[in-house]
Amino acid sequence: MIRQALVSLVPLLCLLACASDPTLTAPPREPDPVDFSGHWELNYGQSDNIQSRLTTLVRELQRRSARASNLQSERGGLVLGGSGTDSAPSVVGLARMAELITSSQLLEVDQGRTRIRIDREGNFALSCDFLRDPGRIDDLGVGRESCRWDGQQLVFVISLPEGLSIRHRVALSGSGEQLGIVTTVFSDQVSAPFTVRRIYDRYEPGSRGYRCEETLSRGRVCTTEGGS
Amino acid sequence: MRPLLRLAVLGLAGLVLAACAGAPERAKPAQADPADAWPPAVGAVTLERSGTPPATALDVIIEVFDTGLAEAAATPGDEPVFAAVRKAEAFYMPLRLREALVESGRWGVVRVAPRSSATAALSLSGRIVHSDGVDLVLAVRAVDARGEVWLDREYRDIAAASDYPVAPGTDPFGDLYRRVANDLAEAQRARSVTRLPTVALLRYAEALAPGVFADYLATGDDGRRELRRAPAPGDPMLARVQRLRNQEYLFIDAADEQYADLVERFAPTYHLWRQYAHELARYETDYLARAGEREINARRGTYAAMQQTYGRFRRVKMHEQDLEELAEGFDNEVTETVIDVDDRVYRLSGSLATQYDEWRRILQRIFALESGGMP
Repeated sequence: MIRQALVSLVPLLCLLACASDPTLTAPPREPDPVDFSGHWELNYGQSDNIQSRLTTLVRELQRRSARASNLQSERGGLVLGGSGTDSAPSVVGLARMAELITSSQLLEVDQGRTRIRIDREGNFALSCDFLRDPGRIDDLGVGRESCRWDGQQLVFVISLPEGLSIRHRVALSGSGEQLGIVTTVFSDQVSAPFTVRRIYDRYEPGSRGYRCEETLSRGRVCTTEGGS
Repeated sequence: MRPLLRLAVLGLAGLVLAACAGAPERAKPAQADPADAWPPAVGAVTLERSGTPPATALDVIIEVFDTGLAEAAATPGDEPVFAAVRKAEAFYMPLRLREALVESGRWGVVRVAPRSSATAALSLSGRIVHSDGVDLVLAVRAVDARGEVWLDREYRDIAAASDYPVAPGTDPFGDLYRRVANDLAEAQRARSVTRLPTVALLRYAEALAPGVFADYLATGDDGRRELRRAPAPGDPMLARVQRLRNQEYLFIDAADEQYADLVERFAPTYHLWRQYAHELARYETDYLARAGEREINARRGTYAAMQQTYGRFRRVKMHEQDLEELAEGFDNEVTETVIDVDDRVYRLSGSLATQYDEWRRILQRIFALESGGMP
């Protein structure tokens, strides 16, 4: 069972993996972009654990520090001091930010030929107009955002003041039953970004026992499904 | 084997994801503000009403407005333009303008038609340059039956917070419609209009039977039409023209009623949408001012500082998306109104202009048959 799950996960990981390497990127002009439409719920088992990702980041920073200090031993490598770049508050803060940004357990994706909207529970939706110039950046005054296709992946970039940036990379598994979002959070106070991968499983809204819809007059209305 | 496989997969993912983490894209410079090109606001305007009926009451036809979507698409700005709302506004706004003209008491019958018509002594057309809950910018053009341009300019009005919620029988941009009505009244006073109704009738007759009525109107070098000679009273051919023109008016009036009915149904939602857009615009302006003035207390790079920065962005985005959702709801209501009432309303929205063209062709055939010609 686990093996089956892992095997189905491999294409998704490969898709996510190949995005930044130009030699492995899929042909640039895909006739039919992948369709992310549907309802998705967080798969805790296959998603990253923030604590372990933090541990990985700390180790990486230690290695960098050790190299930078030109020390052969590990003893002088720990950099998590009280202030400055790579300080403990900054590194831990970055991890907590990543957790906050990726905390949505449910997604609802509405995608058409010209536009996609990814509604995230408890957060603002990620939306992208495919007809617009892919390099265009919207400036909201409190931050800037852009989106573009990268092969079969959709990439959202949000640049915020105070040296904070967020990148979401969305991909679909080969079976179409899992959605992966790799979120990378950058801070100019930490020398390496923090990356979290969230895996979502497709689900049918009715199967949850209730159904919600937006209405103009009453806002969000949820009703229970008639069970047999 | 399984743990190894899992480790291999996760290790691969970790390596690759670390590789994916590059620097985000650099921002582009912001675009020019289109509002810089708009005219000054009309301000508070009192409608000039005529105490006595005019000696020559000109019939006016207001063509359903151009949505301006083509221009908006050609020059994309930061503000989203909701196509469904614009399409609804294209016949909502002519009706508001019609109200102002009727209330002024200076005109004959004022009709809203799907297309321009040669039957009118005075024809008005308009294009929506910009419309949200804060600003309304309209390009308005008025041309009489002779082809003389009375008015060709842009108008802008700015809604105040006190304009919302919209009270029954009012409009946040009522000043704009009143200004257009006053300008038209002034243009009328500056001209001799006594011959215009006759010119309009003869132009209509000319369209029905060019060979018969061609001699009545002269065309100047500038393309303007002038009355060369008036038809004899009781001319049977002209009587037929008048009867057919009345048939055309019947069609326009039927279409006009349907527009009014549709507007009455969607107006409450539309007002709500504009109020929300107004509140959102004010909130964003105030919020950005506050955000610009405020110091971020927490030290840069800490969770508290990042949370503040992200929270600010999130709030603005969620407000923006609330507006979008409301507009989508409005879009659906307009669409449903058009679709749900079966063919009658579908034709109103989608092909009333085509029906109008067809109706005019039928009238031409009737006229040809009655005149003994070939249809």
